[in-house]
Amino acid sequence: MKKTHRILALLLSLCLVVSLAACSGGTGAGTPETSAPETSAPETAAPSTGDATSISLWVYPVGGWGDETKVKALTDAFTAETGISVKVEYLAYADGDDKVNTAITAGNQPDLILEGPERLVANWGANGYLVDLADMLDDTDKSEIIPAALAPCINAEGKMYEYPMCMTAHCMAINLDAFKAAGADQYIDLETRTWSTDNFIKAVEALYAEFGSTVGAVYCGGQGGDQGTRALINNMYGGTFTNADHTAYTWDDPKNIQAIEQLLSMDGIAFDASLQGGDEIAKFYQGALKMAFCWNSAQQLNPNNADTGEGKTVTGEEIVYMNFPTADGSPAELCGGIWGFGIFDKGDAAKIEAAKKFIKFMCDSPSTADAVSTSTFFAARTSAEGTDLTKLFDNEMMNDYAALMLPNLGDYYNVIKGWAAARTEWWNMLQEIGNGDDMTETIATHMANANAAAAG
Amino acid sequence: MAKQPQTTMSRALVRRETISGYLFLLPSLIFFLGFVIIPMVICIFNSFTNANMHPGDVQFVGLKNFIDLWQDVTFLKALKNTFLIVIVSVPTVCAFSLWVASAIYKLKGPVLSAFRCIFYLPVVTGSVAVTVVWKWMYDNYNGIFNQILKGVGADTINWLGDSRFAIWCIILILFTTSVGQPIVLYVSALGNVDQSLVEAAQVDGANHFQVFWRVKWAQMMPTTLYILVITTINSFQCFALIQLLTQGGSDTNTVMFYIYWTAFKLTEQAGHFGYANAMGVVLAIFIGLLSAVQFRLAKEK
Amino acid sequence: MKIGSGRTKAYRIASILILIVLALLFLFPLYWIVTGSFKSAQDIYAAEPKLFPTEWVTTNFEKLFAKRSAPLWELHVPFAQDANGDPLVFSTGPIVPGAIRWLVNTVFMSVMAMILTCITAAMAGYALAKKRFVGRTLLFSLIVCAMALPKQVILIPLIKEMAALNLVNSLWAVIFPTVGWPFGVFLMKQFCEGIPGEILEAARVDGANEAKTFITIVLPMVKPGIGALAIFTFINSWNDYFMQLVMLSSNSNFTISLGIATLQAETTVDMGLLMAGAALAAIPIIIVFLIFQKYFTKGITMGAVKG
Repeated sequence: MKKTHRILALLLSLCLVVSLAACSGGTGAGTPETSAPETSAPETAAPSTGDATSISLWVYPVGGWGDETKVKALTDAFTAETGISVKVEYLAYADGDDKVNTAITAGNQPDLILEGPERLVANWGANGYLVDLADMLDDTDKSEIIPAALAPCINAEGKMYEYPMCMTAHCMAINLDAFKAAGADQYIDLETRTWSTDNFIKAVEALYAEFGSTVGAVYCGGQGGDQGTRALINNMYGGTFTNADHTAYTWDDPKNIQAIEQLLSMDGIAFDASLQGGDEIAKFYQGALKMAFCWNSAQQLNPNNADTGEGKTVTGEEIVYMNFPTADGSPAELCGGIWGFGIFDKGDAAKIEAAKKFIKFMCDSPSTADAVSTSTFFAARTSAEGTDLTKLFDNEMMNDYAALMLPNLGDYYNVIKGWAAARTEWWNMLQEIGNGDDMTETIATHMANANAAAAG
Repeated sequence: MAKQPQTTMSRALVRRETISGYLFLLPSLIFFLGFVIIPMVICIFNSFTNANMHPGDVQFVGLKNFIDLWQDVTFLKALKNTFLIVIVSVPTVCAFSLWVASAIYKLKGPVLSAFRCIFYLPVVTGSVAVTVVWKWMYDNYNGIFNQILKGVGADTINWLGDSRFAIWCIILILFTTSVGQPIVLYVSALGNVDQSLVEAAQVDGANHFQVFWRVKWAQMMPTTLYILVITTINSFQCFALIQLLTQGGSDTNTVMFYIYWTAFKLTEQAGHFGYANAMGVVLAIFIGLLSAVQFRLAKEK
Repeated sequence: MKIGSGRTKAYRIASILILIVLALLFLFPLYWIVTGSFKSAQDIYAAEPKLFPTEWVTTNFEKLFAKRSAPLWELHVPFAQDANGDPLVFSTGPIVPGAIRWLVNTVFMSVMAMILTCITAAMAGYALAKKRFVGRTLLFSLIVCAMALPKQVILIPLIKEMAALNLVNSLWAVIFPTVGWPFGVFLMKQFCEGIPGEILEAARVDGANEAKTFITIVLPMVKPGIGALAIFTFINSWNDYFMQLVMLSSNSNFTISLGIATLQAETTVDMGLLMAGAALAAIPIIIVFLIFQKYFTKGITMGAVKG
C-alpha cells in the first residue's frame, strides 16, 4: 500500500513539474521574442503608431550627469520643446553593468543609455542590442565632431553605436602642499604639468621620507578607475597596452614590466587591493595619499565632500593636475573618456525616433552647451548648430586643462575585442603581483586570458 | 508510524484527506513551485545547454559546462572559499554562542536581556549597513583597526586588500551577524534543562564537565541541530559581504558571487547562462548532501 | 569540591569580564555608524579616526536627503500592464527624498512578505503535519532540500520568469520568492505536529468543516510559531540584499539596503553620507526590535523548541 502510494506520488509530481516546466518553457521562449525586432515590431508599434510620449534613460555618473537636480533641468527643457517625457535612472559604476545586463535579460532595458564606447560600442553594440546611429551623422556633424571622439564611437563595420556628447583626458594629480613640504616640488614642471619618470621616483622618495607612509596607491580592488593604473604603467617607460591595430594585448612589453618592477620596488608606492579608483580619490582628497592616478577635469572641479572648494583637499591643501611621468619628461599619452548616448533596440520605431530626438537635443543643438557643461567635461564637437562649444567654461582652470591636457589624448584602445574580460584580468594581475606572485608568470597568464577573449 | 491509520483508512477517506491536504497546501505550493522548484528545474535543464543572454539558438552541450567547471581555476577557488566559510563559521558560531549562553543564562533578568540584546543587534542592523561600517573599520588608511595597530607600534595590515586576511575579515563579520539567534536559543535551552537529572548526575559523582556533556548537552541536542541548520543557511547567504567589500578579489570569491559575476558582470563571458547554471547545480548538489547529513543526524538523535 | 568552587568563581568573574569586552565590540559598529553619521567631513577624513565627533553636524543627512527624490508611495499592481506594456503603477503622495521612499519600500516589502509567508506556511504546515495525503513524503523531502539553497542558484531562470510575469522592477519580484522559500513551511510543520490528533478528531465529529477547524483550533494553538516565523521572515526579508539587487532597477523602487549600496558605489566614496544611510536603515528596525524585544526572544525560542 505504502509503496504504490510512493510511486503514485512520484508520478504525480513528475507530471506536475514537467507540465509546469513546459508552460514556463513557453514563457521563456517568449522573452527573447520581445527583444527580437522583426517579430514584435508591428505588435508593439501598433498601439503607438504616432509618436512616443515617454522614453527612459539610464545614466552612468558622467560628471554632473549623476546629479538628479542638474539632469532634471536638462530633461525638463527637452520635454518642454518636444512634449516627450524622460524617465531617468541613475546607475553607479560599481554595479551599473550588472543592472543593464539584468535588464537586458528581463527585457526591460531603457531606451537610452549614457556611457562610453568601451561599453556601448565594444559590448552592447557588438552584441547587437543597440541601434546603429550612423544615419544621424551628416557632413556638418562629421566636420564638427572632434575626430578623436568620433572614431571610437564607430566600429570596424562602420556602425555607430554611440553619439558622443562630451570628452576628457584622464590624468593624475598631486598634493602640491605635501610636495612643497617634502621639497619634491622641484621635480615637477608646473608650467607644462609634465615630469620625467626619474623625477617621479625622486619625488616619491622625498615624500616617503617626509611622511613615512604610502604616497601613491596602485589600486586594484576592482576595475573602477583602472585607466589610471594603465596610463601610469604604460607611460613610465613608454610601454603600450594593446598593439597598434587593437587586436592583441601587449602587457608583457619589457617597458611595462620595467615600470611594474620599478613601482613594486618603491617604498612610497603600494599595490592596494582594498581600493578602487573612487576610493583612491577619496583617500587623496583626504590627504592620506599624496598623489592620485585616477583624475580628470571633473575631479579637479569637484569641491570635495568637505566643500573646501575646487582643487583643494578636505584640509584645504592645493591639488594640481599633472601628466603621468614619462621617461624623457615629455607630455604623457593620456587615456580618453568619451561619453555619449546609445539607443537600445527594443523594436519600437516610435521610441527609437523619440530617443534620436533626445540625442539631437543634447548633443547637437543650442542646448548642447548646457548638456556638456553639466557633465563638467569638454564638448565632443567644436560647435553645434552655430553655437561655439570650444570655450564653454568661463573658468580659468578648465580652459588651462583643455589647453594642457586634451592635446595629450593617446590611442583609444578601449574598443578592442575582449575589453571587459581584459579589465578583470588587469586588476587581478595587479593584485597577484602586489601579493608577491612571480611577475613574469602572472603577467603572462593574465595576458593570455585577455588575448583569448580578444581572439574569441 | 503512519502505517496503521493508513491501512485502516477507507479509500474515500484517503481521497478526502488528499484533497483537503492539497487545498491547504495550494497557496504555499504556488509560491514554492513557482519561485523555487520551477526555476530550479529550468536551471538544471539550462546547465546542459549553451544558453546565453544573447539571442540565438540554445543547443544541448551535454556535460561540457561541468567539465569546464572542473578546469576553471576561479571556480575551484570559489568552491574552496565557500566551504571554508561554512566549515569555519558553523562550528565557531555554535561553540561561541554556547559559551556565551552558558556564561549569561544564570545572570539576573535585566543583565541577561541586555547581553542578549547586544549580541542580537548586528542581526537587526541589516547586512548592508553592517557591511559598510565594517568596510570603514577595516580601511587601510584611516580605519580604526589600523589605528589601533599604529597605536601599539605594530605594522598596519591591509585587511581587505591582503589575500591572507581578507577572507577571515569576511568570516568575522559573518560571525558577528550570525551569533545573535543561537545565543538566544541556547539561553532558553539551558534554562529548560531538567534540573533533577543534573542533580542526579551530581549525586552519582559526575564532575562539572561530565554533567555538562552527559546531561545538558544531550538535552540541548534538538536546539543544536536547529542552530546548525540556520547557521548553515546563513553562511551560504553571505553574498552582500563579498559584493560590497572585495568583489571577489583578494581571494575571497565564492560560488554564490561567481554565479552572479558570470551571469551579469560586463565581461565577454557575461550572459553565459548555461555555465552559471551549471555552477548553481554543483552548489545545489553539495548543499543537498550537507542537508541530508544534518537531517540524518537529527533522525539518529 | 572546595577548590573547585574557588576556581569556578574565578572563572565566572573572568568570563563576565570577557563578555563585557565582547559586548563592547559588538556594540562598536553601531556606535560607529551613529557617530559617523553626525561627523563633519573633517572628522571623517581625519588621519586619526575621531572616537567622538568634534562637532555634531547634520550635513550628511542633508546630503542624503538631497540625493534622489520620488513620490512617497507607489503601488505596483502585480502581473498587470498598462497600455504601453509597462507595469501598471499607481503613485500617490508628495515628492519626498529618495531615502524616505526607500524606507517605505523596505517596510512594505518586509511586511508583505511576512504576512504572505505566515498565512501560506501555516496552512501548508498544518497539511503536512496532520493530513495523510498522497505525495506527502516527496513534498517534504523537496522542502528540506530546498531550504538551504542560495537564491543565486536559481537567479537566472527567476529573472526570466519575473519578466514573463510582468513583475520585474517591482517589489513583488522580491516578495514572491521570499514567500516561496520553504523554511516557513518546515517550521510550521514542526509546530503543527504538536497539536493532539484527538482535538482535531473531536472537532470533526462535532461537524466542523476543515476551514473552521483550521481557524478556530489550529491557528490559536500555533500562534507562537507564527510569531517566530513572522519575526524570522521580517528580518530575513529586510536583509535580503541579493534579491533586491537583481530585481529592482529604478531608484524609486529601491530598498534602503540597496540605496546605501548604490551610494557606496558612487564615483567618490563619501563615508559620512554612507553612515547617514546606514543609520537610517538601522535605527528604525533597532527601535522596533527594542520595543518588541521580549516577543522577539520568545518568538525565536519557540521556533527552536519545536524545530
